[in-house]
Amino acid sequence: MGTDRFSIELLVSNHYGVLNRITGLYARRGYNIDSLYVNETENPALSRMLIVSRGDEAIQTQMVRQLSKLYDVQEITLLAKVKR
Amino acid sequence: MELSGAQIVIERLCAHGAATVFGYPGGSVLPIYDALYENARRVRHVITAHEQGAAHAADGYARASGKTGVVIATSGPGATNLVTGIANAYLDSVPLVAITGNVAVPLLGKDSFQEVDIAGITQPVVKHNFVVRGVKELEHTLNEAFRIANSGRRGPVLVDIPRDVQADTCEYRGGEPEKTDGGAAPFDVSRAVKAIKGCERPYIYAGGGILASGAQADLRALSERLSAPVGFSMMGLTALPDDYGLNLGMCGMHGTYAASVAQSECDLMLALGVRFSDRATGNIEAYRQGRVIIHVDIDLAEIGKNVSPGIDICGDVKAVLKELLRVLPPMKNAGWLSRVEELKQADRVPVDGGFTPKNIIETVSGFCDEDTIIATDVGQHQMWTMQYYPFGKPRTLLTSGGLGAMGFGLGAAIGGCMANGNRRTVLFTSDGSFGMNLTELATAVSQRLPITVVILNNGVLGMVRQWQTMFYGKRYSQTTLDRRTDFAALARAFGAEGYRAKSLMRLTGILERLPADGPAVIDCRIDMDEKVLPMIPPGGSVKNIMTRG
Repeated sequence: MGTDRFSIELLVSNHYGVLNRITGLYARRGYNIDSLYVNETENPALSRMLIVSRGDEAIQTQMVRQLSKLYDVQEITLLAKVKR
Repeated sequence: MELSGAQIVIERLCAHGAATVFGYPGGSVLPIYDALYENARRVRHVITAHEQGAAHAADGYARASGKTGVVIATSGPGATNLVTGIANAYLDSVPLVAITGNVAVPLLGKDSFQEVDIAGITQPVVKHNFVVRGVKELEHTLNEAFRIANSGRRGPVLVDIPRDVQADTCEYRGGEPEKTDGGAAPFDVSRAVKAIKGCERPYIYAGGGILASGAQADLRALSERLSAPVGFSMMGLTALPDDYGLNLGMCGMHGTYAASVAQSECDLMLALGVRFSDRATGNIEAYRQGRVIIHVDIDLAEIGKNVSPGIDICGDVKAVLKELLRVLPPMKNAGWLSRVEELKQADRVPVDGGFTPKNIIETVSGFCDEDTIIATDVGQHQMWTMQYYPFGKPRTLLTSGGLGAMGFGLGAAIGGCMANGNRRTVLFTSDGSFGMNLTELATAVSQRLPITVVILNNGVLGMVRQWQTMFYGKRYSQTTLDRRTDFAALARAFGAEGYRAKSLMRLTGILERLPADGPAVIDCRIDMDEKVLPMIPPGGSVKNIMTRG
């Protein structure tokens, strides 16, 4: 696993169990979450998440694609990567 | 129209074409079963012996028909008994809607009797799941469940409905379900076309995506157009008939010699609706080197997951094939075609007339036609069936590919048989696998299903024993069963016909007199040291292929 840090910003349904679905996906693939922020948005039906993790480009692409498949994920953005 | 939650379940099952469902009643699904009682003519419910059998039956029904399978179970143990079946459908991308009851909403989260968090338990093995906490959500949720199960890459969806939600009433809207489309996203084939035009030795690796999108005819047309031989993943195996000249059969660990060598010698691999499972690829580096790989799949997350392709196209494989066929000219390389034919000949090894797995499967196939549904369990007999059974039509094979679940076969055979008006069905199984879920014989008897169960009985867990022979110094830890089960007598105890065969002549005699309806079990005693060959050891490549034991 690479040491590149990367952040994924997600717009998700604001519903019980959604955080579990997202973090479960990281856990199944064996990627540690370095930091995690979750907030309800101005639209109470949605939450915004920011998840910081580590991995090379292939892992980043794979995570974005896997997360995109989740029913509760409305929008996903891979933010600028920081080399460490 | 004001309906109860349970009635809404029935209405939506009908609207989505679920004419036959499988399941098992219990305390938390009483309202749904009460609604089934008065709607028995609209929805046929088949009670199995165990919820796992019901899940596999719904899966087999879906595989054989192309429709969505439906399984219903109660809360707690009913729900947990579905988990293997749901995981099996997930790994093989089978559309399945599992409906579970749960305790009433006020009792959720209190460790009530027969309460489990089935949504939490199944989360990693479903496309999505829902807990319906109010009856007003139910209609939309069920529509979503069927839509998700059937859209894009198909798979299972679970809907957990607390008992009070089934009993509560609300306004029901009804109406036709919205149509799901295969994959309308635009794709670009230009790079693939350029690479294909420049190649000399094309090889097609075709998988379950071909069957899922109904692209069999397009696959054959492209194979003919490019003179490209086709090796199949297990999930794709029935897409082209066995007698098609460029069909190399199954690829991978126990694939044909021809498929393995052709893959290693091709300069371009067109991978269609596949996910590059480790069982199909072996050593990834050896698999990739020396060729351009074009990967076509409807699931973007599969592209680059196991193998980074040089060229990728995310889209419905049928649409992509149609576009390739529109623009690609005919190609022919006589040298490559004669090499492929030479490889196919090498696979045709003469066999003696003994009571061997190959001869048993071929003898049984002589009593089948191209519409016969073939189910298998998991292990050596499964691989032998892939190698020796001459499949003729799509969706005639029901086998547990990704999960490799022993005990899948009998439930799947029941579902597959019922999916097509009680079509003649053969289950190839083994004493180990059959022992796991043989209670479903009771279901096959009660439904009078024409299922022939052929047990390749070697008294051992053959595939594990084969690995112990090859890689563990013949230390046969816990694989010699020594059970002495009389499967013929057991079958008769269930109300099925039961036979034992020790020769091809006896087997033929039994097959000639099979009953027109109701199941029959034929216990075939084979040698415990028969091996599945060829074999490429795990992580190996064609260089390591073993063709004799």
